[in-house]
Amino acid sequence: MSKTRKTIILEGEEIEIYKGRSMAQETWRRLKRNKGAMIGIIFLVALMLATTVASFVYDYDKDIIAMSKDRFMPPSKDHILGTDNMGRDIFARVLYGAKYSLVISLGSTAIGLAVGLFLGALAGYYGGLIDNIVMRVTDIFYSIPYIMIAVVVVSMLGTSTMNLLLAMALGTFSNFARIGRASVMTVRDQEFIEAGRAIGLPTWKTIVKHVLPNCLSPIIVQTTLKVGSNIISASSLSFLGVGVTPPTPEWGAMLSDGRSYIRSSGWMCLFPGLAIMFTVLALNLLGDGLRDAMDPKLKR
Amino acid sequence: MEKVLEVKDLVVRYETDDGIVHAINGLSFSIDKERTLGLVGETGAGKTTAALSILNLVPDPPGVIAGGSIILDGKDVLSMGEKELERMRGNDVAMIFQDPMTALNPVIPVGQQIAESLEIHEGLSREEAMEKAKQMLEQVGISASRAYDYPHQLSGGMKQRVVIAIALACQPSLLIADEPTTALDVTIQAQVLSLMKGLIDNSHMSMLLITHDLGVVAEVCDDVAVMYAGRIVEIGSADDIFNHTLHPYTEGLFDSLPNLKARGEDLIPIKGLMPDPMHLPQGCSFHPRCPYATEACKTREPELKKAEGSHYVACIRYNESSFCLRRDKDAR
Repeated sequence: MSKTRKTIILEGEEIEIYKGRSMAQETWRRLKRNKGAMIGIIFLVALMLATTVASFVYDYDKDIIAMSKDRFMPPSKDHILGTDNMGRDIFARVLYGAKYSLVISLGSTAIGLAVGLFLGALAGYYGGLIDNIVMRVTDIFYSIPYIMIAVVVVSMLGTSTMNLLLAMALGTFSNFARIGRASVMTVRDQEFIEAGRAIGLPTWKTIVKHVLPNCLSPIIVQTTLKVGSNIISASSLSFLGVGVTPPTPEWGAMLSDGRSYIRSSGWMCLFPGLAIMFTVLALNLLGDGLRDAMDPKLKR
Repeated sequence: MEKVLEVKDLVVRYETDDGIVHAINGLSFSIDKERTLGLVGETGAGKTTAALSILNLVPDPPGVIAGGSIILDGKDVLSMGEKELERMRGNDVAMIFQDPMTALNPVIPVGQQIAESLEIHEGLSREEAMEKAKQMLEQVGISASRAYDYPHQLSGGMKQRVVIAIALACQPSLLIADEPTTALDVTIQAQVLSLMKGLIDNSHMSMLLITHDLGVVAEVCDDVAVMYAGRIVEIGSADDIFNHTLHPYTEGLFDSLPNLKARGEDLIPIKGLMPDPMHLPQGCSFHPRCPYATEACKTREPELKKAEGSHYVACIRYNESSFCLRRDKDAR
């Protein structure tokens, strides 16, 4: 049921009043019932809180990047997740690094989603020449490995987190353009779109209000998957030296640092790896729940 | 009487890769104020294309409106700009679609879908539009509390009522109903029809009712136009068409309906099929199927000629003084 029922007494008579909920309220209400999605949200919120707290508690120069002589310490009371090859506390770095990983992956996915969806919706809705132009440009980006694109962008603009974000968005948008186009095309020819035009809806309103909400499921799924894979892409780029510059505690960078010591000091890889895994898992759970919650047909 | 809609010599083609589909070939008719015109014809006669042309919504490509004019309240629809068209659609002319199952957006509550056209055309705020939408729902016989339900939570008949509410929300001067009851069962059909009739009479609208169901026409329409292969073959008041049939095709339509008074009688179907609109026959497009066809019918295209009063017919043989349809002979 998508409404609340309130009974008020007016002049001795009972009158029922119905009030609708907004889309956001409705989605949240349904999301709350989904255990997986709630675990995902709780994990992500906790992670964000932890990384915020960590940026106040730890001093970047002293605790995060400064070397010490306690190298390769296994997890213990002093360093609960151990230390790395430079003697830095992994627990501090994992928490502190969460913000880099999250900002880069969420940011690049968001930019890619916005640009890709816009282009894809345009191409899918109008078809013909616009479709051809947009999709061929997209194909060009799709055919170049994202690492190549990133290397070119970063070497042109210089190494920084912002540029990495842009470079990854460039590698991401073609995915969304394709999915956006395909799903818009399936909805475009349905009768309610024609009916919408018959009551005089402007084109942009038709696309935003009627076409896109009907394409949400594949887009949400792709978004959550892409956030996860972008965390991993960022780490590969960091490894190549075009991503985050070395002392920065980005998860992917920490993972690749630890690879050389995986036999002797496995915890160097284990903990950043677990952090990536749980974050991606939480994002997927959330995405799955969101998809179900936003579909009025799955409502009970 | 004042005319709400006047369609003149309309020609619409679909230019596909396989060839040119001649959907509408010189269609002319008009609708007077507060009258209901029934547009009748077989599948493929071009009824829906005619309706879409009135809204200038013929899918382009492949559709091309190649000629003619459509005058709506004194303005030519075919020369309107996109902005003007958006203002006209839904406000001056509204359309009820054939299948209510697909005409509603599945992810938006029905109340909001009614409110949408009010927001656009009457400049109401979201809340005001929603209130008005609830009133519209009550008018079509659905409780206002259902305004927040999604289309899949309503039955077929209710969905069609919602579609009607959307169409009537802005009080258009002309309502186009494209086979509004085809997707509904007979009981619901009667309900929906009487509801539509009532609402239209109350708000002084005109209606173009597209259907292939002559029973529906008899129940609802003041005037009837019979369409064949993109042309009007006979047009007149319901009484003219039903009781003083002049065109062989119209006669064929009536003969293929069972008669309540003579239950045992055989039905006489119209032989053959609707011609392929890519290759229309020369001359009168009905001649290959017409039991009265002569040599002249194969070469000469009949024009719509006045029979008497508002009754027009397009048949070459009508000019012969001795010509008489079998139906009329039987009656005599």
